[in-house]
Amino acid sequence: MGKVKLRAVAAGCAAGVMAVSVAACGTGAVGAGTGGSTSGGIKTGAGVDAKTKTISLGVLTPLSGPVAVIGKPLTAGQQTYFNSVNAAGGIDGWKVNLVQRDTKYDPQTEVQDFSQISSQVAFIGQSLGSPTTKAIQPAADQQKMVVGAAAQDSAFVTDPVMAVIGTPYAIDDANALDYIVRQTGHRNAKIGIIYQNDAYGQDGLRGYLAGLKSYHFNNVAEATYQAGDTDLTAQVQKMKSAGARYVFVVAVPSTAATIVGTGASEGYNPTWVFQGPAWSEYLMTSNGMTTGKPTPVAKALASNVWVLGYEAQWGNMRVPGMQQFLANTKKYAPTQIPDYYYMYGYAQAQMETALLRKAIESKDLTRQGILNAKLHLGQVNLGGLVPALDYTPSLGPASRTTEIGKVTVGAPTFLRSVSPFLEGTAARGLQFTTSG
Amino acid sequence: MARISRQRPSRPKVAATVAVAIVAILLPFAMNAFQLTTAVFVVIAAIGALGLGVLTGYAGQISLGHAFFLAIGAYTAAVLGGNDHLSAAIWLPAAGLVAALCGALVGPAALRLRGLYLAIVTIGLVFIGQHVWFNVAAISGGPGGRSFPAVAFGSFDFSVGNQLTIGGLVIDHNGLYYYLALIILALAMLYVWNLSRSRPGRAMQAVREREIAASVMGVNLARTKVSAFAISSFLAGISGALYASFLSFVTPDQWSLLLSVQYVAAIIVGGIGTVWGPVLGSIVIFALPPVLQSLVPQTASGGVPIDDITSIVYGLLIIVFFVFEPGGVVGLARRLQRVWEGARARQEPMHKHDGEEPSQRQEQSMEERVPTWAK
Amino acid sequence: MSQFLQLLFQGFSLGCIYALVALGFTVIYRASKVINFAQGSLLLVGAYLVSVLATGLNLPFALAVVVAIALLAAGGVLFQTLVLRRVLGQPVFTLVMITIGLSIVIDSAVPAIFGPNARILGDPWGASAVHLGGVTLNWVRIWAIVCTVVILLGFFAFDRFSRYGLAMRATAVDEEAAMAVGVPVARVYAIAWAIAGGVAAVGGLFLAGFPSAPNPTLGDVALRAFPAIILGGLDSPLGAVVGGIAIGIVEVLTSGYAPGWLGTNFSDVAPYIVMILVLLIRPYGLFGARPVERV
Repeated sequence: MGKVKLRAVAAGCAAGVMAVSVAACGTGAVGAGTGGSTSGGIKTGAGVDAKTKTISLGVLTPLSGPVAVIGKPLTAGQQTYFNSVNAAGGIDGWKVNLVQRDTKYDPQTEVQDFSQISSQVAFIGQSLGSPTTKAIQPAADQQKMVVGAAAQDSAFVTDPVMAVIGTPYAIDDANALDYIVRQTGHRNAKIGIIYQNDAYGQDGLRGYLAGLKSYHFNNVAEATYQAGDTDLTAQVQKMKSAGARYVFVVAVPSTAATIVGTGASEGYNPTWVFQGPAWSEYLMTSNGMTTGKPTPVAKALASNVWVLGYEAQWGNMRVPGMQQFLANTKKYAPTQIPDYYYMYGYAQAQMETALLRKAIESKDLTRQGILNAKLHLGQVNLGGLVPALDYTPSLGPASRTTEIGKVTVGAPTFLRSVSPFLEGTAARGLQFTTSG
Repeated sequence: MARISRQRPSRPKVAATVAVAIVAILLPFAMNAFQLTTAVFVVIAAIGALGLGVLTGYAGQISLGHAFFLAIGAYTAAVLGGNDHLSAAIWLPAAGLVAALCGALVGPAALRLRGLYLAIVTIGLVFIGQHVWFNVAAISGGPGGRSFPAVAFGSFDFSVGNQLTIGGLVIDHNGLYYYLALIILALAMLYVWNLSRSRPGRAMQAVREREIAASVMGVNLARTKVSAFAISSFLAGISGALYASFLSFVTPDQWSLLLSVQYVAAIIVGGIGTVWGPVLGSIVIFALPPVLQSLVPQTASGGVPIDDITSIVYGLLIIVFFVFEPGGVVGLARRLQRVWEGARARQEPMHKHDGEEPSQRQEQSMEERVPTWAK
Repeated sequence: MSQFLQLLFQGFSLGCIYALVALGFTVIYRASKVINFAQGSLLLVGAYLVSVLATGLNLPFALAVVVAIALLAAGGVLFQTLVLRRVLGQPVFTLVMITIGLSIVIDSAVPAIFGPNARILGDPWGASAVHLGGVTLNWVRIWAIVCTVVILLGFFAFDRFSRYGLAMRATAVDEEAAMAVGVPVARVYAIAWAIAGGVAAVGGLFLAGFPSAPNPTLGDVALRAFPAIILGGLDSPLGAVVGGIAIGIVEVLTSGYAPGWLGTNFSDVAPYIVMILVLLIRPYGLFGARPVERV
């Protein structure tokens, strides 16, 4: 038996070695280099087709599964902006093309998707999610590939290749606390937090604790839940019995609604402070618009919920970029309902267009060239849809401002601004370390 | 020994094995980066599935706790390789051993619990494990997850961007993981193949068929079940360590029941109680969904939920496949083999005595067409 | 005290939903020795069916519920006769894989058809509640308890006193012997699937009640019923009910009272720990039958 086995293995090895040496003479080399070439004075790299003057960007986002609620509108927003850019003749004649892959919000799928498209794209125009983006981070770092990370995890703002727009959760929380101080005038309000037990929740908690520290608030209660928990009575009761007047909610929309609904039916109505992703228009009505049928929790939500964000109110015409945004939406995404992920995607595409414009000006569309452009992009105005960003080699968050919206039944997206973009002292001082 | 040596593998089988080995070795040279990445995940998963194949396929102990042992291996690697910066030559075997130890500790539970009771208790293992991973940040990084070390031997490591050049032949990050996992898989298959024909292996199969009968015949149930758990968990530990290392960043919620279910699916799809089954099943379960997805153009997805539709197709394929081939991929292969042999047997007399016995031929082919479930 | 009572009520009503899920598992297990991995997906379909009938087609809510139960029961029978019947007598593994396949199909088909966002259930109770001395009792939860009790009584009456109930129990004890004495085994399987579908519709409906809503992840709750079915005994419907309610109460009470040193979210593992403790003492659950072993 032993002999047969050994012979079989030996034969296999011999054949393998032979075959490998054959392959070495031919085309077979594992892995592909990304050679650059020059076209019209512009150095081009992977994902840049000089013949058709097309630049391809990768989109790695959940288009199915529970997080598709975010991935789909966000991608639609990007597509709308790039459609409008392409229709207007492109960026200095260069058209932008999106190569989408569905990640299902799964890190393994994200890695596979990344390997599939990385050689066809100039950079990743969108990578949604913190655990997913972290799984491709080493490869992106090594390839010097810029990644438009749609994740407000503080860990990304210190990585040179990560291009994040908007405000990290930690700063949002600090700003909300600042607002509470200014509104109430005193610093002894009782504050609590309910957070989801994952990377997103941890980041919210970190910001909450940092903010509390700098404003000397009383952290009266902390409660956590696991994704998929259906009954949050105990968590709400913890807040209630601690007498929390303001409760931060770092959750997904379905759970956030459960928390507020549970509180309301027990007669507990503090000010609920929602982290951005806790909010969805679909919590209010059947179709996410004011025309829809109200949900059972709509009333409770409209009584006292703030939503932390950094985006302009949908339809607020005082915002300079709003008119163009609405016109483009009407033209390229006529069925799109008011949605802040859509607006985020649109603004992210604006950032990426500015980035490509800078790289084209520097006549370098290689990965290194695009990365250089990102590091020296400086201040870019995103039409007021999202706070202006500021990318410099010293890194750090793109913006430190937060807008607080109060849930209101009549408003177009059910949100009414109660504070203009604000940047509190704690937010200004929040440090981001490179440890990740 | 003398008796065993009579069951030599037939010549065509050896030839087929060699052919598969050659294909497996050459495969990376014919693949693009996406296919190779998928292949790495498949080969790594196949190591773990082979382990589950020993436990469930040979010893008949149904476990849905495989994700727990994968995680044990992964976090052993993280602590030894990531926190303590030891070589992969240490953390890779250690991942297997620590997982095997945990498996041996769980094994005695199988003495008391049977069938699906054991299956669901092992689900408990997954949840208890996840509770620990979520809470012990020093090991797992806490709810936010942690990064994992690349495989490193001495000064050479497998991290992204590194490559091995052997006489003009370049093997990159993906290729390195592929060959390492392939070597481990080959060794593991050889071991399991030997095991299945050895005394302990036959003891396992006796336990699977009729536990009490086996014990009456002198099989030590405790030893057999505990060793099945230990072997299975050892392979799971190695697989988990490689998986986390290749993926580079893992959050605790990834070691979920869903992962266990995928492994169970892999061994069932492949064919229970065989060496090749878990490997073939891993290809189906871990490669088919991304490959299906990659076939669908996604640049203009518009309003069509194309990715949900690919998942629906995948689920339907599973249902249809099992309705028509309950024996799994290995069952399918055996049937094809029968058909082929049958065809050859029919062809040979045809050449010799042309036109003879048409009725008999017809009968035979009729029989081949009857699916097994109807027999 | 009111906090304790509140949590007890919440736990009890959640436990009723688990009991319905567990009953679905048990009925199918008893008939065909298969754990139906698609039970959670049936729950999901139930919630969406009620929602579509009540808010899309504007049927009166009670009628919508009855139609949803009937449709899902019919769906169960259809799946049994079109698919599972073809693999009758095959290894249990094969059947389990087919149910996994079914769950993949349903879990993807629901968001494909209805989109990823939550819907409105269309129930008449909404957020309304009665307040009893500091304890809030949501009407939807009271109705969940009432309906569960009615369904369970109905099921036990069927199981105990009807011809098919007898046939089901006979098949559970010994399939071949039952076949030999003329029990229509195929029909018994079909009935088991009809019951599993019907109870899933009710379970799904209440799971999606206030403060939750029908959404594509609703079916995940089925995983939480696993300890319930084992706690009671895989083949015992009574065990499923006792186990389900016990697990619901354990989960909610531990989420309120677990001390910090047990780690965050101990309530998610507490049911499993209770289950393991019970199994150490009774390896076939509280009410499960110990099979006769033959050599």
